[in-house]
Amino acid sequence: MTTTSRPQPWALVPTAPSSRRERFLRRMRAADLLTSLAVTSAAASVALYLAYGGAGDFITLGGFVTSIGIITGLVGTDLILVMLVLAARIPLIDRVFGHDRAMATHRALGKPAIYLILAHTVLLIVGYGISSHLDPVAETVSMWNLPDMPAAFIGLGFMIVVVVTSLVIVRRKFKYEFWYVVHLLSYVAVLTALPHQFSVGAMLAVGTGQRVYWIALYVLALGGIVVFRIAEPLVKSIQHDIRVTAVESIAPGVASIHMSGRKLKALGSSGGQYFIWRFWTGRTWWHSHPISLSAAPTDTRVRVTVRALGDGTTRLGRIPRGTRVSIEGPYGLFTDAGRTSPKLAIVAAGIGITPVRALLEDSRVAPGETTILLRGPEDENFLWDEMEKLAGARGAHFYTSVGPRARGAHSWLSARDVARNVSLRSVFPDFKNSDLYVCGPQAWTDAVIADAKSYGLPDHQIHAERFDW
Amino acid sequence: MRVRAVLGSILGSVTVLVIGWQAGAAAAHNAAELSTASSSGAATTPTGAATPGSTPTPAATSAATSTASPSPSAGSSSTGSSSTASRTIVGATEETPFGPMQAEIIVAGTRITNVKLLQETDMGGRSAEISNYAAPILRQEVLKAQSANVDTVGGATYSSQGYLASVQSAIDKAHL
Repeated sequence: MTTTSRPQPWALVPTAPSSRRERFLRRMRAADLLTSLAVTSAAASVALYLAYGGAGDFITLGGFVTSIGIITGLVGTDLILVMLVLAARIPLIDRVFGHDRAMATHRALGKPAIYLILAHTVLLIVGYGISSHLDPVAETVSMWNLPDMPAAFIGLGFMIVVVVTSLVIVRRKFKYEFWYVVHLLSYVAVLTALPHQFSVGAMLAVGTGQRVYWIALYVLALGGIVVFRIAEPLVKSIQHDIRVTAVESIAPGVASIHMSGRKLKALGSSGGQYFIWRFWTGRTWWHSHPISLSAAPTDTRVRVTVRALGDGTTRLGRIPRGTRVSIEGPYGLFTDAGRTSPKLAIVAAGIGITPVRALLEDSRVAPGETTILLRGPEDENFLWDEMEKLAGARGAHFYTSVGPRARGAHSWLSARDVARNVSLRSVFPDFKNSDLYVCGPQAWTDAVIADAKSYGLPDHQIHAERFDW
Repeated sequence: MRVRAVLGSILGSVTVLVIGWQAGAAAAHNAAELSTASSSGAATTPTGAATPGSTPTPAATSAATSTASPSPSAGSSSTGSSSTASRTIVGATEETPFGPMQAEIIVAGTRITNVKLLQETDMGGRSAEISNYAAPILRQEVLKAQSANVDTVGGATYSSQGYLASVQSAIDKAHL
């Protein structure tokens, strides 16, 4: 343990706890407002239908079923567009919720959306069937013959494929690339479903508020994706001209990739954030990787550290010098900006050291504010030396927990430390008033979070970046 | 989800739903009036100038008063019972993906005073509903613009196109 309080030339002025709290409250206000807007948008799609003639359609049985069918379709479409907005990596959404939470919501909306669209299909077939005295099969055939309906049915098929391959249990069976390519079908599904909304549905009726609403929502969703997932990364990648300068093996299966670039400070990344990297060699260009910076970038140099987890990351250890690199980002709220409380508690294991190292480097902390606990087996401690040096410079308490994991259900500490009664409470002074930043393997991270919650640490004080797709 | 977000969501949703429902009720009321106007207009076709929905212009009035002189091109399909100036021209039958669509126009002098639907798309109850809903709107638009060059009704694009094409063919026939 070291407690150097000597000011460093590059030390940042610590952020006052009051302004941290203020910033947190502002973020929460924005989060609540955006959440309310998203829910209200679903209600608005129904309200607009009612406003433009829908309210009068409930009189007959066929009309009633048809109207409910139209409403489920509208709400389903609204949810799909909200899902696209969440996946568009819009900077405001990242700053307010963080992309990992936005994507968790995106995933959670997938099933409701598909159920609504299925209900839309079934109810309209039944409703139209009742109105024209046809059984559902005959009505389906008759609908198939309507203009733009075959495309809509095909879009529905794609959508089902996308949702099914995204179910956690199914998704695990596939490689990421396969899932990703299938997921691109969702754009096809959205586009093939569009024409029937024009011609058979009244969503885009000229001179109605519906038209204004739906066009605006489509522009926001598809435009957001074009701008923030395609155009902006492309422009940034060209502008900053990032290239690999060295690949350094720092532990078995762990490599630091050093890169050069232009005006990298202009990327505006904060320590703890990640970029999505694509290395343009013949074998790696088709796979992008979310990787945290393992050091705060200078204006011309940037470093990431990767562990070989899958096929793609294994190949990353062998990319040649001069390889061109394209980026998306920076993303994430695993930063100083996410802080809410007076103390900072950092817990990391394995490759999880990388974001916390950059976080600490970029944090405005007072001496004694920060406590660090690193966890690993006897033979693995890459980047710990850098972390210890940083801890000294920042006046942080520095602890390690080394050795095999304790036997027992949910322990995340070493057997030795568990035997000594080490706990979150004993390591971190004033734990309840701390922001806990956790990064490590998923199961281990979950164990730390569960432990923290058992001490009553509220959700907004727990920060964990999830890289799972 | 936080309490404030839940309350905000409920408040926002209820507000827009109430506004939508109210606006819809008002629109349904207007639509009822519109369809009354159109059916009463259809009932009084022979004297198109007297249709409540349309205001007679000075030209139409003068044409109606000069009943003595026969109108030059009122030959083909004039119903000409009480007013020789009022002609009915039947438009071509237009095929749409939902079935045939045919309209006729009533012309007083050089002015379209009414449009009637002769055949409407009939593929299933829904498409008839669509043309029932679109027809009064299109009729109103055609009378206002005095041409078939008006916007189609959303949700009834194909029916609208058929309707307007039929009206256009009638206008061509009438040499307006």
